[in-house]
Amino acid sequence: MRKFKQVVLISLAAVTFFSCKEEQEPDCQTEPAKLRVTVQPVFGSETLYLDSVYSTVEGYDVKFTDLKFYMENPRNGSAVLIDAGLFDYRERGTLLMEGEGSYLDYSSMNANLGVHSSINHNDPAAFDNASMLNIANSNDMHWGWNPGYIFVKVEAKVDTIADANPLFDHNVVFHIGKDENFQTLTFSDVNWSDQGSHHELPLKLDMETFLQNGAETIDLKNEYTSHTAAGQEVLSMKVMVNFKAALTPY
Amino acid sequence: MRYLFLFVGITVIFMACKKDKTIYVQTPYELKIPSHFPDMIIPIDNPMTVEGVELGRKLFYEKKLSGDNTQACATCHAPSAGFSDPEQFSTGIDGLQGDRNSMALINLGWNTSFFWDGRSKTLEEQIIQPVINPIEMHEEWKNVVGKLSADIEYKNMFFKAFNTDEIDSLQAAKAIAQFLRTLISGESKFDVMYKFENNLSLSANDQVIYQTITPSEWAGYDLFKSLNGADCFHCHNGPLMQVQKFSNNGLDAAFTDIGRGDVTGDPNDYGKFKVPTLRNIAYTAPYMHDGRFSTIDEVIEHYSSGIQQSSTIDPLIEYAFQGGVQLDAFEKDLLKQFLMTLSDENFVNNPDFQEP
Ligand code: HEC
Ligand code: HEC
Repeated sequence: MRKFKQVVLISLAAVTFFSCKEEQEPDCQTEPAKLRVTVQPVFGSETLYLDSVYSTVEGYDVKFTDLKFYMENPRNGSAVLIDAGLFDYRERGTLLMEGEGSYLDYSSMNANLGVHSSINHNDPAAFDNASMLNIANSNDMHWGWNPGYIFVKVEAKVDTIADANPLFDHNVVFHIGKDENFQTLTFSDVNWSDQGSHHELPLKLDMETFLQNGAETIDLKNEYTSHTAAGQEVLSMKVMVNFKAALTPY
Repeated sequence: MRYLFLFVGITVIFMACKKDKTIYVQTPYELKIPSHFPDMIIPIDNPMTVEGVELGRKLFYEKKLSGDNTQACATCHAPSAGFSDPEQFSTGIDGLQGDRNSMALINLGWNTSFFWDGRSKTLEEQIIQPVINPIEMHEEWKNVVGKLSADIEYKNMFFKAFNTDEIDSLQAAKAIAQFLRTLISGESKFDVMYKFENNLSLSANDQVIYQTITPSEWAGYDLFKSLNGADCFHCHNGPLMQVQKFSNNGLDAAFTDIGRGDVTGDPNDYGKFKVPTLRNIAYTAPYMHDGRFSTIDEVIEHYSSGIQQSSTIDPLIEYAFQGGVQLDAFEKDLLKQFLMTLSDENFVNNPDFQEP
């Protein structure tokens, strides 16, 4: 009798066990290789944090409050990493883009700073949901269909008076876009670093270079706003050219 | 004895495999997304179902969610007021008032944070809060679950929506979130203007509306977008008429409510609040996080001449140095006429959104 009980018990246990066995996926597929491009903003030799104070050559104190840009169509020959990366320092940190592929395919890289005219005026709701060009992701980097996307956005507050009184009452707003300001980027000889789970291409964005690009300087006291409107062409172009110069491999 | 033993064993098998029991197959809910909107991203763990939405709608109007069974979500989020509250501060069941104005519940499925200070990252998470908030519905979820479980109709509805015999707060929140995601507004006159200016095809009904758009409304729209006009579109833009961010739009020189700063602890965020949508703005008075303005005219006056400087003011309040954008009476009127085009009667009167 006891034996019978044991048999019943064991078989019951076995039935219970087997009947509920979850289907387990064999874990033998290898993950596709991930590639990340990151951008570390700096101010000369210092790491740049939003809302922190940095000193310009002119002696102004500047706090950057927003840094954003589009890098579209990053590619090498026929290899394309992703349709577009959106850098948004406040919301997304240093990550510019993440794609799949082998880093060996991107020993050098071309990309667009901004959004090419062939897609700049498309329906922003029609891009793939994961695309940074979809209006759900572009958010305030899209003006409207006709002007298209904002390519580069720099916002800051400046104290232009050299005294002990920190009064950041001078606002800087650069919202640059429009097809004529579109720029191309070339990174030859790029060094991907192995991060274990992915390979990473670190870039840096030097906002000191942005303000002091050789002879092309931006004096924030006098050159503090452009929405790429009529009459702002010169400053708009300078912002793009200087931004391009400020963005280099780390 | 032997039979008892067997019985216990069989019960064990039965219980262990409970999830293989008869299950109710839900009907997927098709969201009616306007052609000029992006897709709505639905959380994987809360797919939209007809049964879930129906339950959520009933719960949204359910007074049993409050401590004394007098208040529902809809008490402070009334459809006729664009799902907000015409009172400056809503009064909770204990007669207590908060210091923030109720928010309009419009196109929330595309929002990335909730509450004026953005303290909730998901709708599901947000919904848990008003019930337990002592100045709002002031009830424990345990009691809500008790009350709902005692109601056979709810038992059935939860079963149909989530295949469950045990009602719980997470499912209630999921159902309400599903209902809130259906509250889509995209059929205002503004929508026709948006489609027209971007060469999107207009439906027959859009064509009819298009004929009614006045030159003043178009001029008001231009002013709204113009950099040296009203300069509104930096923050209220796109099909949602809002960008997803926190901003200080110059209401105060010194803050009584630090808003976003409360959540991040960062002084650079003091005085910043979620940028609200301007859709259905004609229905959602009073305005701003503290409901300080009771009319659109007061709001326009604020942006025109009432801007207060402070350390965290948004640089995109570009004419702060001169107190605002300085519109004349004619321009103020045009701007107001444009803001009225954001009214979507089909939204506030949609029978699917009313009390079941
Ligand atoms: C007593 C009035 C009151 C009740 C009842 C109430 N709310 Fe609210 N609701 C508010 C107020 C006030 C705010 C803004 C609070 C804040 O920002 O701190 C708000 C904010 C919200 C938001 C955020 C919207 C956005 O755009 O970020 C959602 C969603 C919401 N409520 C849903 C609900 C739901 C669902 C219920 C029922 C479970 C409910 N509310 C019950 C007053 C109320
Ligand atoms: C820099 C960003 C910004 C700009 C530019 C801006 N707003 Fe706002 N708007 C906000 C923010 C942030 C709030 C909420 C502020 C609060 O409650 O503390 C708001 C609130 C409102 C509200 C109240 C909405 C509600 O539900 O209570 C209206 C109406 C409004 N804005 C209209 C306008 C108009 C008209 C213009 C142009 C004259 C404009 N805004 C320009 C950021 C902006």
